[in-house]
Amino acid sequence: MANKPKIYVGINNEINGGMTSIGKVIRDGWVFGLLDESETCEGWNLAGIDALLQKVNTEWDKYGCMVSYLPPELRERHQRIHDVAIQDAKKAGWSGEHETDDEDE
Amino acid sequence: MAKVYDAGVKDYRDTYWMPDYTPLETDILACFKVTPQEGVPREEIAAAVAAESSTGTWTTVWTDLLTDLDHYKGRAYAIEDVPGDDTCFYAFVAYPIDLFEEGSVVNVMTSLVGNVFGFKALRALRLEDIRFPIAYVMTCNGPPQGIQMERDILNKYGRPLLGCTIKPKLGLSAKNYGRACYEGLRGGLDFTKDDENINSQPFMRWRARFDFVQEAIVKAEAETGERKGHYLNVTAPTADEMMKRAEYAKEIGSPIIMHDYITGGWSANTQLAQWCQDNGMLLHIHRAMHAVLDRNPHHGIHFRVLTKILRLSGGDHLHSGTVVGKLEGDREATLGWIDIMRDSFIKEDRSRGIFFDQDWGSMPGVIPVASGGIHVWHMPALVNIFGDDSCLQFGGGTLGHPWGNAAGAAANRVAVEACVEARNSGRELEKEGKDILTSAAKHSPELAIAMETWKEIKFEFDTVDKIDAAHK
Repeated sequence: MANKPKIYVGINNEINGGMTSIGKVIRDGWVFGLLDESETCEGWNLAGIDALLQKVNTEWDKYGCMVSYLPPELRERHQRIHDVAIQDAKKAGWSGEHETDDEDE
Repeated sequence: MAKVYDAGVKDYRDTYWMPDYTPLETDILACFKVTPQEGVPREEIAAAVAAESSTGTWTTVWTDLLTDLDHYKGRAYAIEDVPGDDTCFYAFVAYPIDLFEEGSVVNVMTSLVGNVFGFKALRALRLEDIRFPIAYVMTCNGPPQGIQMERDILNKYGRPLLGCTIKPKLGLSAKNYGRACYEGLRGGLDFTKDDENINSQPFMRWRARFDFVQEAIVKAEAETGERKGHYLNVTAPTADEMMKRAEYAKEIGSPIIMHDYITGGWSANTQLAQWCQDNGMLLHIHRAMHAVLDRNPHHGIHFRVLTKILRLSGGDHLHSGTVVGKLEGDREATLGWIDIMRDSFIKEDRSRGIFFDQDWGSMPGVIPVASGGIHVWHMPALVNIFGDDSCLQFGGGTLGHPWGNAAGAAANRVAVEACVEARNSGRELEKEGKDILTSAAKHSPELAIAMETWKEIKFEFDTVDKIDAAHK
């Protein structure tokens, strides 16, 4: 625990090309305009990330957490941001199997 | 002059080897795979197994003069070769029903897999199967609600149930954990689940977890109009503490709780199952530690036995293996114990490793849970293999969706409904799975992304423990 980083490395420096729980929060922050798309959150402390998560959750609650329920403008923005993220993550070596390979019951 | 008995000088087979014995309908029957030390005759070692798992430990004391040994003793009545393996053989033993306390799998297993497993004349021993006579089955409480009652409680019919284990990634706080549950349930899952090793650790005490998760359930139910649940793990250091957590889960309105039945213990499990039945609660059972007992093909207890133990002790769900995923599990053997969980009568079927007919009478069935290492591309095969009365749990296959938990849940919900609809209209799921999913994805961007995230893959690791017939 002593070595646990207290400061976030930034979505551009993340493992799996940014396809992580925090990475998803940041991208949704971009989608909902909570963050400027140039904001990588590098140097943020985890309390800041958690505060962002709560704001992102509040936004998602307006649309039942479903991309399908987003209004057209937000949906297009979501698609653009996440399409790029998926491509970048795949280039960095991430795939769905990362999520299920080591899974137990 | 009184008779003098010299302990240990009499061969076991003189007393316990009875090849002419015809088992009674009320006998508990067991099949052991026996690997003897070199030079010990099969009949002698089979008789020794019968003795040491029944009355063998009684015979060297004076009380054998006061008890009817001939009535209570186990009887080794048959021996068979193990196909493809000359190092061991099957020994069949019959035990009189009144050797055991009614309704106590604890008592049965204390005899059958007790001292005998440390017996020096054995190199290894495995309990392959047990036949519980209907007379004994009816003394056990069994699953608290059973499959039909669960469907009525949940108001969900005609399809497999969907679940997801919430992993405490990044040390999720109880609040964020509850949020992950909400997203999964909101996206279309029926259940979310505590990890088996989540009890009440300092980073997430049980009461806070229960409160936040129940809030998630209430919110998801209100928004979807469906009944939802989360397997609140009540496994605890003591049975009293376990019951305290179960009571609280009921108090806040949870429809289902969870227990690790092997690490938690069968006595505690039976107590919890009876309480669940009395209180209208569903009980999900995790099998953590099973591989310690069932993975070695020559030593331990086969999972089909552990399955029967659970059905008698009580549980509404039991993890069964996935058949098509990446986790250990021979297909035919898995199908065998899935039948043992659900069916009312199971015929002897050596091709599935089932050594005895098993009549469960009116005892309700247990829902098999396929969990771990599976994703949306496995859905057609899972629906085909497991059928409707099952729970399919996609952990990484839900939470790993690039768009998040709700999207992952929605993808799986659309996929399962597409597969059920296709099956019901006569299509062959495993053959046409790709077309079925592709067609459904046209109307579900969440499914489309999931299908891009996980490609059709085959990880066919050879299993360690196979059906013995397969070695031929």
